[in-house]
Amino acid sequence: MSSLVAEAIQTELAIERWPDDVQFFQQYQVEQITLPDQAACLSVKTFLHMCGLNYREELRINAEEMSPSGKVPFLKVGPFLTSEFEPIVAFVNQRGFSISEQLDDAQRSEMKAYMAMVDNILVHAELYLSWVIPDVVNEVTIPRYGVGQPQPLSWILPRLKKRDVQTRLSSIGWSKKTFDEVCEEVVTCCQALSDRLGTNSYFFGERPTELDALVFGHLFTIITTELPEMRIANIIRKFETLTTFCSNVDKLYRDFSAD
Amino acid sequence: MADDVLEVDIWEGDWELPSVDSDCLTVLAFSKFCGVPCRAVKRNNPVWTPSGTLPVLRADGKSVSKMSEMLEIIKKRSPTGVTPQVGPNNADVKAFSSLMEQKLLPAVLHTWWLDDQTYVDVTRPWYAHASPFPLNFYIPGRLHRTAASIVYMAENVDPDNITKAEIEAKIYKDAKECLNHLSYRLGEQDFFFGSLPSELDAKVIGYLAPLLKAPVQTNRLINHLKACTNLCTLCNRVLMRYFPLSPEEMELKRKRDEETRQKMQIDSLEFPNKKRNILFAALFAAVAMLSYALSSGIVKFGTENVNNPDYADDDYNDDDDDDNG
Repeated sequence: MSSLVAEAIQTELAIERWPDDVQFFQQYQVEQITLPDQAACLSVKTFLHMCGLNYREELRINAEEMSPSGKVPFLKVGPFLTSEFEPIVAFVNQRGFSISEQLDDAQRSEMKAYMAMVDNILVHAELYLSWVIPDVVNEVTIPRYGVGQPQPLSWILPRLKKRDVQTRLSSIGWSKKTFDEVCEEVVTCCQALSDRLGTNSYFFGERPTELDALVFGHLFTIITTELPEMRIANIIRKFETLTTFCSNVDKLYRDFSAD
Repeated sequence: MADDVLEVDIWEGDWELPSVDSDCLTVLAFSKFCGVPCRAVKRNNPVWTPSGTLPVLRADGKSVSKMSEMLEIIKKRSPTGVTPQVGPNNADVKAFSSLMEQKLLPAVLHTWWLDDQTYVDVTRPWYAHASPFPLNFYIPGRLHRTAASIVYMAENVDPDNITKAEIEAKIYKDAKECLNHLSYRLGEQDFFFGSLPSELDAKVIGYLAPLLKAPVQTNRLINHLKACTNLCTLCNRVLMRYFPLSPEEMELKRKRDEETRQKMQIDSLEFPNKKRNILFAALFAAVAMLSYALSSGIVKFGTENVNNPDYADDDYNDDDDDDNG
C-alpha cells in the first residue's frame, strides 16, 4: 500500500516532529459527508486532540478522490499523505507522540483486539445502514453523496459507490444478513465494549488511548445522526455505560465535536 | 438419529487432526471442551448443505451452519460447571475473535488457497481426493474462488492503484502482528483464560493447528507461527489432551510411515537397475529401428549394386536417353 511505502520513506528522513501547517482533509460536514465517513473523521480528530496535536481542517468536495487510499480522512504533514485511522495512528506514533505507551504488551494486544472488533462490527453496520437499507440509501445517503457534483455525475457516482460498498459487504457475508441480524451483531459488540469499560472512565484506566478515540468516533456519530432508521442508535442508547462515556469524552473535547 | 447426540457434518481429518478445515475443527474442539458428545459425520461435500459450507450441526431435527449459533447450541448442552466463561471474558472472546477474523483469516486463506505452491501441492489434491466423484472437479475451484473474493475484495481498494503483491505484503504483515498479539495475550498460561479452555481457544486451534500439521514446505506465516512457541504448545496440548489418536488411526499412521519408508528403500534399491533398464530399452529401440530401416530398404549396403552392375548401367543409360530425348 501507499502507507507501506510511506513508512519506509519516513524512517529514512530526519524530520520535524509536528509542523505547524498540518492539514486534515474531509468532505463538507453539513451537506455532504456520509455516516461511515463522518465516524472515521471524528475518530481521527478525537485521536489528534487526545495527543494534543494541532491541525487545520480543510473541507473538499473531492476529498475521497484526493486521498491516497480512496478513503477519508487523510492528513497532509509536510510532504507526507496518510489516510485512515490505523495508518494515521502509526504515523503519529512514529513522530514520537503516543497515548498508549503506558500499556504493557498484553494490554496493547487487547486494545488492538477491541479496535478490530469495532472495525469489524460497527464499521460494517454503518456501511450496511447507510448503503443497504432502502429508506436510508434513497432519502439520505445518495442525495448527500452526490451533492456538489454536476447533474449526471450526482446520479452516477453514488450508484457506483453503492455497488462498491455492496461488493465489499458481500465478500465478508454481510450482504446476506437481514437488518435484524446486523442489529444482533451490534448488540453483542456494544455488550462487549460495555463489559470491558465497566465503571472506568476510559477503556484502560484513567488515561485515554486510541481505542477510546475510535469507539467515541463511531458511537457518537451513530447516536447523534438523524436517519429514517434509528434502530442501531436506539440499541446503543440502551447501554448507559457507553452513552455516559460518549458524553464525557464529548465534554472534554466539545470544541470540535459540537460543530 | 438419537436425540441426545449432536451430529456434525465435517471435512474429514488428516495429518493427525480430527478435521483439516478451520471451522469444523473449531466446532469439534469446542464440543470436546464443553464435554458435549457429538458424532462427526465425514460428509466431505459442502454442495447440498443449506449455506453451501461445512460444518453443519444437526440438533433436534434442525440444521445450523452459522458459527455463533452452533457454538451457542453446544454451550447450552454442556453439563453445568464445565465452562464458567461469563462476564468480561465474553467481551475478550468477542474482541479477539474479531481480531483473528480481520487480520489472520485473510492470510490463512491466502496460505491455503492462493499461494500457488501450497494450492497445487497440498490443498487442491487433498480436497479433490476427499470430495465425491463428479464434484471433485468443482469443489476445489469453488473454494478457491471464495477465498480469493474474501482476500482481495474485503480490502476494498482500487485495483488499478495496487498490485496483488502489495495486498499480500499487507495481509501477511497484519497476520504476523495478530499472531504476536495472541501470543502476548496467552503469555505463560495453559489456555487463554487460565486453566480451562474456552471458545477463543477453540477458534485459535481451528486456524492454527492445520497450519502446524499440514505437510507444507515453507511459508512465511507458518515460519512465524513456529516462532511463537506458546501458541504451538497450546495447539499440541489441545490435540494431545482432547483428540488423542485412536488405535486404528495409530495403526494407519504407522502403516503409512512404513509404506513411505519402504517406498524410499525400494527406490534406493532400484537405482542401479533403473539405469540398466533404460540402457536395455535404448538398445532394443535402436535395434528395432535399424532392422526396420534395413528391411524396408531405406538403408542399402553397397554390395547390392556391385553384384548387379547391369542394372546400374541401365539406369545410367536411361538417364542419358532422357536427356538426349
